[in-house]
Amino acid sequence: MGSQKLKIRSSLVWSGGTAILFGILVLVLLLMWGLNPTRFLKISNIQSMAFQLPELGLLSFAMMVAMISGGTNLSIISTANLSGIVAALIMQAAQKSGTLAPGIITAYAILAAIAASAIIGLLNGFLIAYIEVPPMLATLGTMIFLNGISVSLTRGYVISGFPEDFLFIGNGLVLGIPMPIILFAAAAALIALLFDYTPYGFELYMLGTNPVATRYAGVNNRKILMKTYLLSGVLCGLAAIIMISRFNSAKSDYGASYLLVTMLAAVLGGVSVYGGSGKVSGIVLSLIILQLLSSGLNLLRANAFFTRVVWGVVLILVMIINRISSYIKDRG
Amino acid sequence: MGKKMLLVTRTLLIVACAIFMALPLVSVAAQGKKYEIVTVVKITGIPWFNRMEEGVKKAAKDFGVNAYQVGPSDADPAQQVRIIEDLISKGVDAICVTPNDAKSLEPVFERARKQGIVIITHESPDQKGKDYDIELIDNIKFAQHSWDTLVKYMGPSGQYAVFVGSLTVPLHNLWVDEGLKYAKTKYPGLQLVTERIPCGEDQELAKQKTMELIKAYPNLKGIIGFGSLGPTGAAQALKEKGLTKQIAVVGNVMPGQAAAYLKDGSLKQGILWDPANAAYAMTWVAKQLLDKNKLSDGMTIPSVGKVSLSGDIITADVALDITASNAESLGF
Repeated sequence: MGSQKLKIRSSLVWSGGTAILFGILVLVLLLMWGLNPTRFLKISNIQSMAFQLPELGLLSFAMMVAMISGGTNLSIISTANLSGIVAALIMQAAQKSGTLAPGIITAYAILAAIAASAIIGLLNGFLIAYIEVPPMLATLGTMIFLNGISVSLTRGYVISGFPEDFLFIGNGLVLGIPMPIILFAAAAALIALLFDYTPYGFELYMLGTNPVATRYAGVNNRKILMKTYLLSGVLCGLAAIIMISRFNSAKSDYGASYLLVTMLAAVLGGVSVYGGSGKVSGIVLSLIILQLLSSGLNLLRANAFFTRVVWGVVLILVMIINRISSYIKDRG
Repeated sequence: MGKKMLLVTRTLLIVACAIFMALPLVSVAAQGKKYEIVTVVKITGIPWFNRMEEGVKKAAKDFGVNAYQVGPSDADPAQQVRIIEDLISKGVDAICVTPNDAKSLEPVFERARKQGIVIITHESPDQKGKDYDIELIDNIKFAQHSWDTLVKYMGPSGQYAVFVGSLTVPLHNLWVDEGLKYAKTKYPGLQLVTERIPCGEDQELAKQKTMELIKAYPNLKGIIGFGSLGPTGAAQALKEKGLTKQIAVVGNVMPGQAAAYLKDGSLKQGILWDPANAAYAMTWVAKQLLDKNKLSDGMTIPSVGKVSLSGDIITADVALDITASNAESLGF
């Protein structure tokens, strides 16, 4: 137990896995820079990457927390889209009535998206913790259910036209730094603190490692699961706010291709598919690696499928390196 | 063990720094002053956009510009936005887009135009944030031509049915509205047996709907299909039922896919436009704008012909008739 605790507490500190990821990041950075010496890592290029990373990043966090608990959350994209649509409908109604200031409409929209995603998160948590449906099936169910609601609310159309204040969240710059990346950094820091310095964080990792032992240790597993899927849902809500602001519109199928990519980011970042391990710093590094690869290859005008090939290769490489390094560890 | 990791990281960092310092020596900024005009498609790797790419390549050669095509691996609006963001940061001269979703591109188009990047769209006449939109068919004429073609094969009177991709595809439904209006005055003998049927993007469904139509309306003489898989599905059903002589099918098809049906007569004629021409025309218009040439009503676009200009929408009327004799030679 002692070593487990040590491991958990190190999520803000360097460790073997993180060092390997960091090494890969540096190599990718140099490779991309070498291939696009005049265009890569210019201010505008860094800014564009900082606009792109957060929506996928927050969704990856949502996937990560579910995976650490030993489950998964297949409903992240549909949660984000439904929360976005709810916020969009509220903004649309408020703008039509014309009595509210744009700042207040924006605040309502944010609250609405967070509230909707929290309710969905609790629903997932309830199904998994109390009805004891396996997470994959429970969230598959809610994924289809939520997507159905989104399509019927919008009839498949786009809801668009938000106030300037709201658009700032996804498109604005603060001292040259894109607003989405600031929100992402804040969320990352909060999750890291939650994992490292609260009883919830400790119990979450315990639950993911061995639910039976955790229960015998006097932990209320159900409560932990409820909190975990609530957190996962709210992260989707945050992603939704950024996404609909960036597109100035909400729709039932935005980001539909992100679901497996969030799993890729989580696994690449060192989250175990069996639960119980994974760190915020690892995910952040893996997201940066994926973003550098995709933007760098776009600059090289590589085929989009080639980017997928490279992502896959990097994942496989990291798995192999991790295996070898743990082999060396075991022997030495 | 910790030391070993540290050593690995340190070595990696040293290697990295060495490459970093050596790179500027290798990179020679030898770039010609060719315009960089990029075509962004809905999705890479499907026949329609492969054909479009041929137009891009031809334009690059003919106009002496650096023109190429990119697109996402899924038809996801979110991915299209990311690609355009990367192009903006790359600093290209013009971006020609076939939007997945017109609304989601508004913020990113605005950012592009702030940097002086020319934006041309295709199949998105109501797009905000564009310089010009190009339509290769005049929607009203296209609809009328479709009905004329049907009459050519089934005669000016009798029962017929209409397929659309779905009830929410604006273009398909516009064609049907216009076509029905036209038929009312020009071909009063035509009798639409039922409401438009949404099955045009699904070959299996189109086949099944055709079977049902044949049962319900034994006197059916014709079918018009919008959506590129409707007519082939209908043709398949007719072939199975041995009714290819009694019922005439016309509509949107991909030539390569339809060739076999056109040859055995289960499909009478395809009506479409050539995506290669669309890309060629977009690149041409982008170059004119970059050269500061004025566009005018009645101007001629190479290989497309005379076009009309109204507001910021350029319209050509180059609907393409696909028959048994040219289906294979069209090359898409």
